[in-house]
Amino acid sequence: MPEFSFAATILPAVARFPKPDFTSGYQYPTIVHSVPWETFWSWVDIGLLVVMMSLMAWAVHRRRSRGVVVGVSIVSVLYFGFFRTGCVCSVGSIQNVVLALTDSGYRLPITVLLIFLLPLVFALFFGRVFCAGVCPMGALQELVNIRGWRLSRAVSWALGFIPWVYLAFAILYAATRSQFIICRFDPFVGIFRMGGDMGMIIFGVLLLILSVFVGRPFCRFLCPYGVLLGVVSRVARRKVEVTDSKCINCRLCHHACPVDAIRQPNEAKVAERRTTGARRVALYLLLLPLLTVGGGLLLRSQSDTLSMAHRDVWLYAQLTADEQPDVLTAEVEAFHEMGRSMDELEASVQEVKKSYRLWSALAGGLIGFVLGCKLIRLSLKRTRKTYEVDPSACVACGKCFNYCPLKKSTISNT
Amino acid sequence: MKKGIYRNIALVTTAFAVAVITMMGVSWWQMRKATPLKTEVMETLRQLSDTNADNETLAEQVRELDLLSRKAYFTQESQLKKGGWILCAMAAVIAFSLRMYYKDTKQLPDKDLDPIDEWLTKSRARRYLGWGVGAIVAIGLIVVTMNGVKERKLAEVNRSTGQQVNKLADDSPESEPTTELSSDSLEGDRSTDQQAGRLADQQKSDSLEEKSDSLKVLAPPPLPKLTWNGFRGTGGTGRSAARGLPTSWNLGNGKNILWQTPVPRHGYNSPVIHGRNIFITGADSEKRELYCFDLWTGELLWTAAATGIAGSPTQMPDVSADTGLAASTVATNGKQVCAIFATGDILCTDMEGKRLWAKNLGVPDNHYGFASSPLMYGNTLIIQYDNNDASRLIALSASSGRELWSKSRKDKIAWSSPILAKVGSQQAVIVMGNPAVTAYKVSDGEELWRVECLSGEVGASPCTADGIIYAASEYATCVAIRAADGETLWEAGDCLPECSSPVATKDKLYVATSYGAVCAYDAATGEVVKQHELTTPFYSSPVIADGKVWIFSNSGKCYIFSAGKDFRLITSFDTGEQTFATPAFSDSMMVVRSDKSLYAIKKK
Repeated sequence: MPEFSFAATILPAVARFPKPDFTSGYQYPTIVHSVPWETFWSWVDIGLLVVMMSLMAWAVHRRRSRGVVVGVSIVSVLYFGFFRTGCVCSVGSIQNVVLALTDSGYRLPITVLLIFLLPLVFALFFGRVFCAGVCPMGALQELVNIRGWRLSRAVSWALGFIPWVYLAFAILYAATRSQFIICRFDPFVGIFRMGGDMGMIIFGVLLLILSVFVGRPFCRFLCPYGVLLGVVSRVARRKVEVTDSKCINCRLCHHACPVDAIRQPNEAKVAERRTTGARRVALYLLLLPLLTVGGGLLLRSQSDTLSMAHRDVWLYAQLTADEQPDVLTAEVEAFHEMGRSMDELEASVQEVKKSYRLWSALAGGLIGFVLGCKLIRLSLKRTRKTYEVDPSACVACGKCFNYCPLKKSTISNT
Repeated sequence: MKKGIYRNIALVTTAFAVAVITMMGVSWWQMRKATPLKTEVMETLRQLSDTNADNETLAEQVRELDLLSRKAYFTQESQLKKGGWILCAMAAVIAFSLRMYYKDTKQLPDKDLDPIDEWLTKSRARRYLGWGVGAIVAIGLIVVTMNGVKERKLAEVNRSTGQQVNKLADDSPESEPTTELSSDSLEGDRSTDQQAGRLADQQKSDSLEEKSDSLKVLAPPPLPKLTWNGFRGTGGTGRSAARGLPTSWNLGNGKNILWQTPVPRHGYNSPVIHGRNIFITGADSEKRELYCFDLWTGELLWTAAATGIAGSPTQMPDVSADTGLAASTVATNGKQVCAIFATGDILCTDMEGKRLWAKNLGVPDNHYGFASSPLMYGNTLIIQYDNNDASRLIALSASSGRELWSKSRKDKIAWSSPILAKVGSQQAVIVMGNPAVTAYKVSDGEELWRVECLSGEVGASPCTADGIIYAASEYATCVAIRAADGETLWEAGDCLPECSSPVATKDKLYVATSYGAVCAYDAATGEVVKQHELTTPFYSSPVIADGKVWIFSNSGKCYIFSAGKDFRLITSFDTGEQTFATPAFSDSMMVVRSDKSLYAIKKK
């Protein structure tokens, strides 16, 4: 898809400004494109990523310092955001990894693999320190977050399903070599680059305005990488804790958390009979394979429609449409000009559709499976005596540290 | 006090940010579709500069204005970028000020939005999730089902319409088309358009009536009103008033294909349509035949063989493989249909295939094979018989075969076909040869004017529009000649055809070449205004119908261009069968002859 965006940007510019009609014998200079020093900067990215995540791990687990988190966030926004223009990021690297796994012709750069793996490795040891402020998108939302308006937890939990759907579609479109939708619909990259699709820039600005009042809406309800980090963080060696002293249940941290990651004490005094709950869990466990298969079949049945996201399928549809548009798209014009045959295109379309049938079934299956797991998780009762951090939801922003009345004693103890 | 300062800074910065956003929005909106180099002043200066090529002052003015426009645009773009940075800085100031303002304001415990008991919250979340997913799936299924129902209904309508059309076709009595198009190029176009408009209105009302009275007795079958009486249509204009043609079809799955039928014998000639009849010829060493197919079903209605003709050679003349024995397209006037073969045999039948007369003009001395198509004007059949031994223009009576007149021509052998055009007030036949383009009076063959401008092997045919005759031939020239007096208006040599003949409108001349270039000339100046490099040879001639230019490449790829100002490629696709013939058009139908078959295209 990047080439589509490129064409869409360049073509109107060329139409606006054709080369001047010099008739004075002027010789156009040969255009020389210098090779960017990209490898160097990629390794600088990796180095900084490790340093910043280490710093975050230290700040969150040893110092319990919010100030370091803010400092690193500023650096991240400036470097990874505005200087490196938000690319390659760990969130988008999911697609590169999927593409490398499914397409033997695609060589995954080692730096991109590291950008994908390192935050997951850190999450395995220290929780979501990447989200804390190393990710420029999370950092930007964190820096503008002033107020802490709360959402109903029931709504948040339900909305937490969206990133999984997004992830499933990102995998589907990457595996079928159609589009990198995470990059295409990145709401902040337009801000970092000071340009791009106006719709996405407006969406990014609206998300930032929302972030002023509500903690990290993108991270919680959209980010597909966040859900992977959340899963890994559940089994993290060191989970984020507000204090290592005994919690006095003051409720201050619970209300301070911008992402609603602190679970309150729960004595499970429910009016529901124990057997009813158990039956429900059993039902959902039985439903899990059905939801997985059903989701797979459902999405597979729409694979032809979904495959329109692939450039060849889209092109073929344009070329074979009864009603031809008045203005030819750049892709259709390129097809005609390059003399590619329809047979060749048709063969490619058949191949793509075949691939879509497989991957849409898998993506649908993933969505169905996650839905089943979510329902099961929401049917389990847990007793808690004190306030606890949910490691999968906590983004390690450290806001709660300053609220904990036990903080000072904690530091002195360490 | 300090907090108040931060609040005020935030407020003032926000106000400024809003102002900057507004200005940037307006600027972006202006720039969005700006074409600074296409201003009226610029265009005027350009035109003046073009017509005064030696005026360096004008050229300098164009350059200065060009530079100024570019500078203005890019300055605006740069300002927009700067505005973005200023906005970012403002956002940072606002965020910092607000952060400082709320620094000591703690997020204190408040009433919970959710029930205190987590179990109840989870139950709610389960419900929300169930509803949300259920709603999305339900909406998706409804949309999919509705689309399916819509498609099924459409298919049913198409099926029933097809059955009705077939029934009508079976029941319809043979009748002559109500009118024949005028052969005059400009007036012909006008009358054709008016006719097409009337047809469209008639069809519209017919269609409405059919819809409302679908169960009542069906109306009489509509016979096609448009005719295509010879090579590149009536009079050889290459234009048709056909409307509503599909821009894609597929011989594989039958999409928009009304029928397809094999052709008994090979031939490079193009189909001709009159009423419900399609005429083509085919020939091999054994037989030379004229075929008539049904326009609506593709059924072979009759075959007339060119046999038993006095003077016809027993041994076929040597012809090249890409010319063959049946390269000439037939001609008809609605009463007679006449075909000529590479043997020099002419065969004329009535519309039912009954032979009226046949004769041999003498075996042509032609190293590729005779390829010129005859032209019909009323009862006059005109044949450009340019060969190595002698070149003649012959006029025969279409009904009897009697020679009306014959003119000896000074020109060398050519494979071009004559067209009709008005020369002043007289109906003339325009002939391309080597080295001249010549106008002859149809009535007696008197030479009206002669312009010597061509050379080499002339294979393409002339065309005409708006009182101008255009002639183009590879390795020679492309020339525009005023029909009234034979004055050469312009000559160009940029884009020249070999076998494919050009087609013209009032504004443009369209040419397809054997080296793959398809060009649009400005009819007024002869300048190539647009060229498409399609890297595939064209022998078939471009034709204009339904506001589009239709061209088939030899490989069978159909290219459809807009016949408008920009001559842009609308679409192209492989038909799957090699095509050398030029398509023929009826009301909303196109008939194509490929190397394998004859097929009709109609929007389904």
